[in-house]
Amino acid sequence: MFGRRKIIRLGFYGPPNAGKTTLANRIAMDWTGEPVGKVSEIPHETREVQKKERVVVQTKGKKLIMNLLDMPGIATKIDYEDFLKHGLSIDDAQQRAKEATRGVIEAIKWLENVDTALVVMDSTKDPYTQVNITIIGNLEARNIPVIIVANKVDLKDAKPERIQDAFPQHPVVKVSGLKGKNIDSLYEAIAEHSR
Amino acid sequence: MGIEIEFISSEMLDDKNENEKMRFILEKIKKNKILVIEESLSSLEETHLIEETMSQIDEKFSGIEVSTLKERTSGGIRDRLIRFLGGRTGGLTVIGPSRLIKKVKKEPQKILLLAEKKK
Repeated sequence: MFGRRKIIRLGFYGPPNAGKTTLANRIAMDWTGEPVGKVSEIPHETREVQKKERVVVQTKGKKLIMNLLDMPGIATKIDYEDFLKHGLSIDDAQQRAKEATRGVIEAIKWLENVDTALVVMDSTKDPYTQVNITIIGNLEARNIPVIIVANKVDLKDAKPERIQDAFPQHPVVKVSGLKGKNIDSLYEAIAEHSR
Repeated sequence: MGIEIEFISSEMLDDKNENEKMRFILEKIKKNKILVIEESLSSLEETHLIEETMSQIDEKFSGIEVSTLKERTSGGIRDRLIRFLGGRTGGLTVIGPSRLIKKVKKEPQKILLLAEKKK
């Protein structure tokens, strides 16, 4: 069970552009006044693990002390040509792709070093993807508690119930990292499910 | 030129360790083949495959699309006995180069795949 003085190493996992950094920033800004990292609409903005240590959160009389570990998005493909569509030069696109591949490897290696994982998914997209299944299967195999975050519920096309249907074996918290909606429920879930 | 699909029996991978299995798969994918393997990769094997794939991405190879149907997990005596003896109870993996596979739609009991070769 969650120990009052234990520091929870909280990993933010998920595919690119699911809103991991936006959510990590929301938590960090609320409790420390400082963001974790930069966000962008261009995929793979986070290409190294970004950390914010000793974030102290109060929730329903409990105190959570967390190290936020914002991971690069996990993908099975990274095509530099996709970055060209966002206006990057060929050199910049190739460099970004190279850094992104290293980021994915780093995120996988860090799986051994998290106590609890938030698997962040975009509620407007089909959640039943191989990347999501692989991340969750991997965390289950390592016996790491998983909390699924159905993010972007503020968007018109959001269907967070699809996420719940796809992964009924794990708690699903519906939030908007951008708008700060329902973040308290997320803290409660972290307090309840972390070891 | 058409699209080449190679169907691989689980026996073909039986004597390979995890590294050899990943190398075997990626070598074929980099030759622009789609593989249908008669077993489901485990989650740990899948992440290993992603790591290997990432380390090989360059301007010509942009990665993979992969989708698996997991083994049957029914509690039937036959399946339990097979698993107890170290055997596999079904499962399937489809893998191909991402520039060839335009779309993969995964459902719990089927995989839909659309492939198209660039002209």
